[in-house]
Amino acid sequence: MANQDSIISVRNLEKKFGNHLVLKDISLDVTPGEVVTIIGSSGSGKSTLLRCLNLLEDPTNGEINFKGENILGNGFEITKYRSKVGMVFQSFNLFNNLDVLENCIVGQTTVLGRSRQEAEEMAMEQLKKVGMDPYIKAKPAQLSGGQKQRVAIARAVSMSPDVLLFDEPTSALDPEMVEDVLASMKALAHTGLTMILVTHEMAFARDVSDHVVFMDKGVVAEEGTPEKIFNNPKEARTKEFLKRYLNQ
Amino acid sequence: MKNLKANPLLTFFSAIIMLLGLAGFSSNQVHAEESDTLRVGMEANYPPYNWTQQDDSNGAVKIDGESLYANGYDVQMAKKIAAGLGKKNVVVAKTQWDGLLPSLTSGKIDMIIAGMSPTPERRQAIDFTNAYYTSNIVMVVNSTGKYANATNLADFNGAKITGQLGTFHYDAIEQIQGAIKEPAMKDFSAMRVSLESKTIDGYVSEKPEGISVSSANPNLKMIEFKRGQGFHLDPSETQSAIGLRKGDSNLEKVNEILATIPEDERDKMMTTAVHSQPKPATEGNWFINIWQQYGAMLLRGTAMTVFISLIGTIVGFFIGLLVGIIRTIPLAKSRGKRWTTRVASFLASVYIELFRGTPMIVQAAVFYYGAAQMFGLNLDRTLAALIVVSINTGAYLSEIIRSGIISTDEGQFEAASALGMNHFQRMRKIILPQAVRNSLPSVANEFIVNIKDTSVLSIISVSELFFTGSTIAGQNFQFFHTYLTITFIYLVLTFTITRIFRLIEKKLNGPKDYNLMANQEQVTSNSREVKN
Ligand SMILES: Nc1ncnc2c1ncn2[C@@H]1O[C@H](COP(=O)(O)OP(=O)(O)OP(=O)(O)O)[C@@H](O)[C@H]1O
Ligand SMILES: [Mg+2]
Repeated sequence: MANQDSIISVRNLEKKFGNHLVLKDISLDVTPGEVVTIIGSSGSGKSTLLRCLNLLEDPTNGEINFKGENILGNGFEITKYRSKVGMVFQSFNLFNNLDVLENCIVGQTTVLGRSRQEAEEMAMEQLKKVGMDPYIKAKPAQLSGGQKQRVAIARAVSMSPDVLLFDEPTSALDPEMVEDVLASMKALAHTGLTMILVTHEMAFARDVSDHVVFMDKGVVAEEGTPEKIFNNPKEARTKEFLKRYLNQ
Repeated sequence: MKNLKANPLLTFFSAIIMLLGLAGFSSNQVHAEESDTLRVGMEANYPPYNWTQQDDSNGAVKIDGESLYANGYDVQMAKKIAAGLGKKNVVVAKTQWDGLLPSLTSGKIDMIIAGMSPTPERRQAIDFTNAYYTSNIVMVVNSTGKYANATNLADFNGAKITGQLGTFHYDAIEQIQGAIKEPAMKDFSAMRVSLESKTIDGYVSEKPEGISVSSANPNLKMIEFKRGQGFHLDPSETQSAIGLRKGDSNLEKVNEILATIPEDERDKMMTTAVHSQPKPATEGNWFINIWQQYGAMLLRGTAMTVFISLIGTIVGFFIGLLVGIIRTIPLAKSRGKRWTTRVASFLASVYIELFRGTPMIVQAAVFYYGAAQMFGLNLDRTLAALIVVSINTGAYLSEIIRSGIISTDEGQFEAASALGMNHFQRMRKIILPQAVRNSLPSVANEFIVNIKDTSVLSIISVSELFFTGSTIAGQNFQFFHTYLTITFIYLVLTFTITRIFRLIEKKLNGPKDYNLMANQEQVTSNSREVKN
């Protein structure tokens, strides 16, 4: 049953694409303020799990509870829920028709009903935090990848979410830009925001997260504290995966 | 005289009209018989039978819905008929040749007095009075050309000859041994242009037209044939009669009136008509002459073309937006909603197939004449034109906008969803602005197509630029120069529109450069702050 302290609690989640079973019997608990990293090899279902969490994919079975309420239930307000669970994508997905500032404002005014001024102040504050405030008048096409991702983070945080999901936010970036984005994320983690992130940055996962989930072939193969997973893995497949990644 | 045998468009209309008749709708008549105005349909572009002029001199009659006047043999005859019927006014409905029959059967006019021959085919659709003029078949050639001195049909051996589409003139070419039968042409203006530019050597016509054209344009000459040396024709084909709706009770009365006008009076009327038809200015610069004489008309025609294309494109754009959105609504989870979406989407695709799959000229004719025939609805021509162009443009643009929507990067959609936007908000704030921006070049293109394609609206006699041009050419006989002027206006219009859309696109793209809101040093220190 759902854990009382959890902000998000996943029970026996299953996802099929046609007859392709991608997620099998996934259970996961995230407590408020916790930073959870999901690691695992390509195709293991990490993105699919994350996308199920904000219903960009419809789970085929199981339960997802948000603050004790089943988000898959009938009559659940999906849009309201999504406004509380932000998402940062691997491919940034900044709105091409809007400049940097408007990207961070549009959700606040249309979804949260904030006043223009309130939204603008919030957007500026978050853009400042990621160091993108000088670029407020730029269009996404005029920014580098790292800059785009920092704006995407500011956009998500401007919505004052309870939980923020990151799907490989640095994988599409050149190495020298990764640092800026990771720095922004680290600062966020320290504010006490609940974060669930999929990443291949093992050092980051070890330093920043409270809990690490290792996925393999659609199941949670092993989970625990970073110390446990990185220094003392139990499962053979975890060891093998880490060996491949850490020896690079 | 003018006979129209195998025009596919007319066949099509007749078929539709017969269908409507079968459905029991055709008894609807738009105009009350009791009205004291006689509404007469004619091309007002076939001197000396009928032409358009700018004032009411020589007893001309007002053209319905325009500040222009019609005159000619037909108009004078119409006045006599009206007087005999006890009607106070005569109004001319300027109508394209193809539109005359549907105009009559749908009740938009009371009579056709347009130099029309009472052929058996036509008699199936409408009734005819006795002849009100009997003509003679001639040939029109270049006055300095090889055939200028021809006297009989045999002299035209090897000549390139044509005639008006759907008339017996054209069929008569077969009687000339060794003549090359060129494709038939739409109207006399076209044949006169071809003759002057020497792409043909002559066209078959009738004496009054021949007299008119040779007196107005010294480059052209009429060849008359002596008895037995010209065409052999059924006498009924050289006659012109007045067309009435089937069963019109006025038929007998009109015949009685015609009987009071003897042959010599008719000839006199025709001679007067030939002399009072407008003469073009021949001195000075042709371009300046056309503008001085017809500038107001040209501007009005241009304004009409721009008006219909602009409103049509704007309204069509919104229709396209709506239909494009309907066609891209994702299927909802609930069954009821799913059904509504499916039905709406099906209707939208029927609309698109229907209007993309048929020519606008047919849509205009069916809509304008059909509305009158079926529902007794006498639509304003301009309104009908606006509706047809809008709906047509909407069908094209909805597909363009739909593809604009579905080709927008999926990530844009997902990012908007992840912020908690619903379908409406996602579309309005994120997807549509991008889809619309991407479809702008196509909208501009559609606008330009509309500028040009409104010329087909002449079928319902909308006086847009092309119709105006044909009218002017019919008056001044300077076909090449008139159409050159029209070409110039079309080019100016389309070129201007292209430029305007470029500007709009640039504006929507925003400035190419953006200004940093602080200096670079602050930027670096800011990002450092975050890292620490
Ligand atoms: N929309 C889809 N339709 C069908 N199959 C899909 C779809 N999305 C993902 N899959 C399949 O689901 C499986 C898991 O994909 P997922 O993207 O979740 O992996 P991942 O762990 O995120 O991998 P990576 O590290 O490469 O991003 C893969 O086998 C993939 O082919
Ligand atoms: Mg992935």
